[in-house]
Amino acid sequence: MRFGGLTCVDKLNAYVGENELVGMIGPNGAGKTTVFNIVTGVYDPTEGDVKFLGTSVVSFKPYQVAGLGISRTFQNIRLFPSLSVRDNIRVSFVKSIKAGFFDSILQFGRFKKEEKEFDEKINELLEIFGLLDVADEYAKSLPYGEQRKVEIVRALATSPKLLLLDEPAAGMNPTEKFELMNLIKMVKEKFKISILLIEHDMKVVMGVCERIFVLDYGEKIAEGLPEEIRKNPKVIEAYLGETHA
Amino acid sequence: MNSKILFLSSLILIFFLNLFTEHIDPYYYTILIYIGINIILATSLNLINGYTGQFSLGHAGFMAIGGYLSIAVSTYFAPFFMGTFGTELFGQTISFIIVLLLGGIAAAIAGIVVGVPSLRLKGDYLAITTLGFAEIIRVIIQSLEVVGASQGFRGAYIFDNGVKAAQIPVDMANVPYVFYSVPKYTNFFWTFTFVAIIIYFIHNLINSTYGRGFLAVKDDEVAAESMGVNTTKFKVIAFVSGAFFAGIAGALYGHFNLYLNPEDFNFLKSVEIVVMVILGGMGSMVGVIIAAVILTILPELLRSVSEYRMIIYSLLLIIMMLTRPQGLFGVSLRRKKLKVKS
Ligand SMILES: Nc1ncnc2c1ncn2[C@@H]1O[C@H](COP(=O)(O)OP(=O)(O)OP(=O)(O)O)[C@@H](O)[C@H]1O
Ligand SMILES: [Mg+2]
Repeated sequence: MRFGGLTCVDKLNAYVGENELVGMIGPNGAGKTTVFNIVTGVYDPTEGDVKFLGTSVVSFKPYQVAGLGISRTFQNIRLFPSLSVRDNIRVSFVKSIKAGFFDSILQFGRFKKEEKEFDEKINELLEIFGLLDVADEYAKSLPYGEQRKVEIVRALATSPKLLLLDEPAAGMNPTEKFELMNLIKMVKEKFKISILLIEHDMKVVMGVCERIFVLDYGEKIAEGLPEEIRKNPKVIEAYLGETHA
Repeated sequence: MNSKILFLSSLILIFFLNLFTEHIDPYYYTILIYIGINIILATSLNLINGYTGQFSLGHAGFMAIGGYLSIAVSTYFAPFFMGTFGTELFGQTISFIIVLLLGGIAAAIAGIVVGVPSLRLKGDYLAITTLGFAEIIRVIIQSLEVVGASQGFRGAYIFDNGVKAAQIPVDMANVPYVFYSVPKYTNFFWTFTFVAIIIYFIHNLINSTYGRGFLAVKDDEVAAESMGVNTTKFKVIAFVSGAFFAGIAGALYGHFNLYLNPEDFNFLKSVEIVVMVILGGMGSMVGVIIAAVILTILPELLRSVSEYRMIIYSLLLIIMMLTRPQGLFGVSLRRKKLKVKS
């Protein structure tokens, strides 16, 4: 991926297996978020291909990628500020509406049945993540940690097969981080999905990921199990050494 | 359920109020009708600019299309309508509904032509394209002889030799003709029936899962798109529905005024509707309705300073932006959250 003359992600060859929890780490500006933007169709890569379940998604628009089953959270939280927590999650069901535009206006039986199904699914999710109490608050009025959680739930509500999390622990205190780790593990087990996680916090990454790859200046410099990555001299030099110096 | 009953009972109420309004002073009656038409214009623009967060600046263009097309059809095809549906109330009603819908549909088609290309692009191209579009429509009408060009349009002359025209051509001064003026179809009942329809329409739409898509597009396009919302489609739907109702408003206006002039649909008219939406608080339906009422009555009270309308509007907007950027009613009348029975 190039922006003008700047090559930002170069010859990255990586994969995420079924129901696997993979970590992507690397120093600031390594190109991690850019990888997410390429996969989800926000950017079209200048070269190369992205395959999801055998389908090439490079020419897909973001909403089409979401339709195929890839969902994400954002490094800078992007909740819908004028909507309640419940309605933030409701937006994820828009793509699966069968009752159309005119049904939504006339609101006959078919529409009501579907709305009820959505309401039930939303309530179920809110309950699982302990958000029922704040369901009718404006999402933006919640504490930071909760907002991150709502963003994860909103992404899950699109029924993804692959979930991309961009630094979900950023700005969290140690207790919140611990809860988040459990939440990520729970999501993976309960929803049987694959997760690709970007995270700077090594405790979180090492604690939840089954496999990790490391990006530096847009290139993959290492890949392996958490213990292998921890000991890899290239990684220590590029990343750990720098941040823990 | 609730809103359906409310809608039907308001139709009944409008029907009975209509009997009343027949006796009020024509001046107040006119203002009443203009209030209704402006509510339709403002709430339909609110769907685009308020709820979906786009910026359309050419609502008068859609109004012009609906208005001119509907009164042209009403007059040029008057013999057909009379012959087919008769001249009784029933026939008139059918004829009116047909031309109203034609006006709305024509405006909606124009909405697709203008909206699809500009809404597909990233960035704010809509304001400039719609502004240009409305001006182009006005200039086209100004040179269209069939609808009276810059003289305005009152009705159609249908000559015995089969010629039809908006004015008597010089070389046909001696040919016998019948003049069909614009029929006065618009009354309190029809105007406020459409007010009720658009309020019902937008209320139901916005308070559904589907409608949350529009709000999501306004709040954060990137996030909406990543959650599977086809943002371009939602923008186009909002824009085309808005254009449709502007066309209906134009048709109502034409069949009330019985005369249309291209200058009725100049830039000032588009700005006026935008001001109603901004003043009303972008996406607060009650606010926008109140703003439409106030901004219809205010110029009547201030007739003597009517040349300064543009200046007053600009000042109003500047003061608003500084003191109440959320609109007059933006906070106190917050949008209702979706109710859920758990
Ligand atoms: N749209 C863009 N146009 C130009 N350059 C960009 C664009 N998006 C990202 N970049 C550049 O690409 C590089 C990688 O950015 P990216 O956001 O992917 O890094 P990151 O690994 O997510 O970093 P961080 O850990 O700080 O979030 C940066 O140098 C950034 O400035
Ligand atoms: Mg990043």
